[in-house]
Amino acid sequence: MAGLIGPDEVRRVAAAALELPGADGVEVLFAHEWGGLTRFASSAIHQSTWSEDTAIRIRAVREGRIGIAATNDFTPEGARAAAESALEMAAVVSPDPLDPGLAPPQAVPERDGFDEATAGTTPEHRAASVAELVAQPPEGFTAAGAYETRASEVAVANTEGQFCWHPWSQTSITTVVTGGEGGSGFAECFAARAADLDLAAIGRRAADKAVASRSPVALDPGRYTVVLEPAAVSTLVGFLAWIGFGGRSVAEGRSCLSGRTGQQVAAPSITIYDDATASGTLGIPFDFEGVPRERVDLIERGVFRTAVYDMRTAKQAGTTTTGHALPPPNPEGPFPLNLFMEPGDSSVEEMIATTDRGVLVTRFHYSNVVHPVESTITGMTRDGTFLIERGEVSRPVRNLRFTQSILEALMNTTAIGRETELASEFFYSASRVPPLRVEGFHFSGRSDH
Amino acid sequence: MQERAKQAVDAATRAGADYADARVVREDSESITVRNQEMEGIDRATTEGIGVRVLVGGYWGFAATARMDEPEIARTAEVAVHVAKAAARLPMEPVRLAEIQPVVGTWHSPMERDPFEVPLEEKVALLMEATRRMQTVKGLSFAEATTDLFRRRSWLATNEGTAVEQTIVHSGGGIEASAIDDGELQRRSHPNSFRGHIAAAGWEHVARLGLVEEAERTATEAVELLSAKPCPSEVTTLVLDSGQVELQVHESVGHPLELDRVLGMEEAYAGSSFVRPEDRGTLRYGSPLLSITADATVPGGLGTFGWDDEGVPAQRVPLIVDGVFQDFMSSRETASVLGVPSNGAMRADGWQHLPLIRMTNVNLEPREGTLAEIVGDTRDGVFMSTNTSWSIDDKRVNFQFGCEVAWRIKDGRLTEMYRNPNYTGITTEFWGSCDAVGGREDWTLWGTPNCGKGQPGQVARVGHGVPPARFRGVQVGVRG
Repeated sequence: MAGLIGPDEVRRVAAAALELPGADGVEVLFAHEWGGLTRFASSAIHQSTWSEDTAIRIRAVREGRIGIAATNDFTPEGARAAAESALEMAAVVSPDPLDPGLAPPQAVPERDGFDEATAGTTPEHRAASVAELVAQPPEGFTAAGAYETRASEVAVANTEGQFCWHPWSQTSITTVVTGGEGGSGFAECFAARAADLDLAAIGRRAADKAVASRSPVALDPGRYTVVLEPAAVSTLVGFLAWIGFGGRSVAEGRSCLSGRTGQQVAAPSITIYDDATASGTLGIPFDFEGVPRERVDLIERGVFRTAVYDMRTAKQAGTTTTGHALPPPNPEGPFPLNLFMEPGDSSVEEMIATTDRGVLVTRFHYSNVVHPVESTITGMTRDGTFLIERGEVSRPVRNLRFTQSILEALMNTTAIGRETELASEFFYSASRVPPLRVEGFHFSGRSDH
Repeated sequence: MQERAKQAVDAATRAGADYADARVVREDSESITVRNQEMEGIDRATTEGIGVRVLVGGYWGFAATARMDEPEIARTAEVAVHVAKAAARLPMEPVRLAEIQPVVGTWHSPMERDPFEVPLEEKVALLMEATRRMQTVKGLSFAEATTDLFRRRSWLATNEGTAVEQTIVHSGGGIEASAIDDGELQRRSHPNSFRGHIAAAGWEHVARLGLVEEAERTATEAVELLSAKPCPSEVTTLVLDSGQVELQVHESVGHPLELDRVLGMEEAYAGSSFVRPEDRGTLRYGSPLLSITADATVPGGLGTFGWDDEGVPAQRVPLIVDGVFQDFMSSRETASVLGVPSNGAMRADGWQHLPLIRMTNVNLEPREGTLAEIVGDTRDGVFMSTNTSWSIDDKRVNFQFGCEVAWRIKDGRLTEMYRNPNYTGITTEFWGSCDAVGGREDWTLWGTPNCGKGQPGQVARVGHGVPPARFRGVQVGVRG
């Protein structure tokens, strides 16, 4: 099986690109990733995979003109050929007036995120763990899902002298248990170490949901008080990151937060920040141009404070980078990958107990943007949607479509859970969020299951 | 490269595989983005590696590596066998593969001008001029023009004797105009949204897209949208242009008819399907005007090839005929569950992933009339153009789509412009309400280059040949 390549070998290969004649500056972004994913359906393993890949992405700059080339040929010859291709492209394009240059040499925070055992997880271990999970549902129910163990190392080197390297591991389990008359339940967990996952507990949680959600009844669309479990909250926060928190979209008036710095955009109980170096997330301590990632307070007690920036958009906005660059080229600009919502003092059980009539949502499915400047998105509920009546979950309901402004939902938040969970709406990003109770949440339609 | 694929297959067979296939894939891509006559991004990428898939005792295993030396290839094949043996920890009905005739051959997609041989200067000049033309329109905020090029070479070998080599080139481009004012953001695109129109063709396809010729109209409409009224909320007659019908077919016909979804293999991620195997030949999916084919043979489609990634020949498969559901898109494994031959829909998005059932070119067969004639035949309704947003539930029943622009249809004519239009519905009810499907004149073979599926996630490029169409009694104007 694979192992870490390490910083010395990365420096050796990167040097072939950094020494490219004719370039004013060169940046090498290196990534190496390996791992396995055991996928199961109908309580059996139907797809099980292992893969390893390397990637080198070169940014070459000449007289303010920028070209980018990528290869997975991790050799000095491969790196040099990609660098030459990048420089060739730079020669034919116009100068970038916002070119900020390359990141200067600077220290990046240390973060211990690599677990050798997780990196070396065998397919037998994953299969045995999945067996524990699929043993949990009762007769008449089956489990589907994916259990992944993965290790990575990423490095940035440039001709300004910056070099940073970070190894990390991560693991995830996602499952959906189905059975009975329309029963469906979901649970997931992310961690840096495989030893921290309890697949049997995940299986029990999804199974309990599935059993409880049998024989759902139709509920009329309309505005309801909702109790959103963390997976559902991660959809709201993840989409807000996409359409709201990027420094470029804020500067260009494309964000729902453009022109709203210092304004109350959410309830005073809402605080959202991004922090790749905090415990409880799976962050890399530097961004993809080699700048240390900073904690950024995005919404503080309901007030929008600032967006996140990379070097180019910081120059555009007249500020400094916060260390949120994505790999180049990056037309969408910077993005927060490690969001946190501050916990409150409630719980899902307490929220239900204090709701006269409402809907409990396990998670949302296939959401998308309706109106970015209004922060309106649409999507479906899935895998456990329940009616709350007089402080108790009274019955399961068929899946509902929501069409809802995220900021309006955050403004109408009346309770926040004290426990948080790491949940992921998009690939390569995760949010640690609590459950929320939101008033007047708009369900605009319903499905038949 | 074919020899390396063969080496992997032999190594896997020696390690205990009952069935083994190996794909060597090399993909080159190039992407250029120009914004307001400035270079936003230009990049090229190359990725190469080998993926080995095996069956051991009826259980699948897969392993992939970018390291292509002989010992590493052999080791990767052994890992695939190791992975398959571990999967037997949970008993299931052993996988069986539908029979095929092994094939040996080569295939390449046709093109007139190799896009990777076109000078960068020529490509950049086209995009610069397109954005310059858009910027002549007063009130425009951003003018963007893009091209995307892909060249995939693949070599497939199996221990049944299949050995095929394919070269497929995809080229595309588009323009997008954005107007921002007073908290409102409006966009218009040409020929389609999300980086335009991509096809299995060379640079000649990009050159014919009219990126410069349509620039001013596109920008003008974006600015006009700022002062347009929001689309009213009502139940009305809806006419869709072919660009939006493309996404409607993709989400509410293509995905539900993938047999792996139907059999629960995608349950935990993208979901399953409301369609069941026993519905073949009986389920009324839509009105008699609805005939859908999955056609991997049509020239120019992103789902066009010589053989799928299991070596099954490209074919044209009727999925829905005159409104009645007939067949799924299948693989060798899933077809064997139904006791039928595979119809050749297995594709991986690269060397590093397992093949999955992917749409080929899922086409709405043309009937009669142009878009203008359909509008002209409509007394009152709304015409929507160009997709901006899509969402559908996990069984592909309830959907909601957004478009860039709409116009009121009054007595057969387009009148008032609406901004932020969207519509919602239930799949079979919506297709059942279809009372007009356009003819060959306005039938366009679009590309959908961003179809996500599977775990680990894969992004496929698929095709949809569709005309405009009309639907009765549709809820439009859904608000937050």
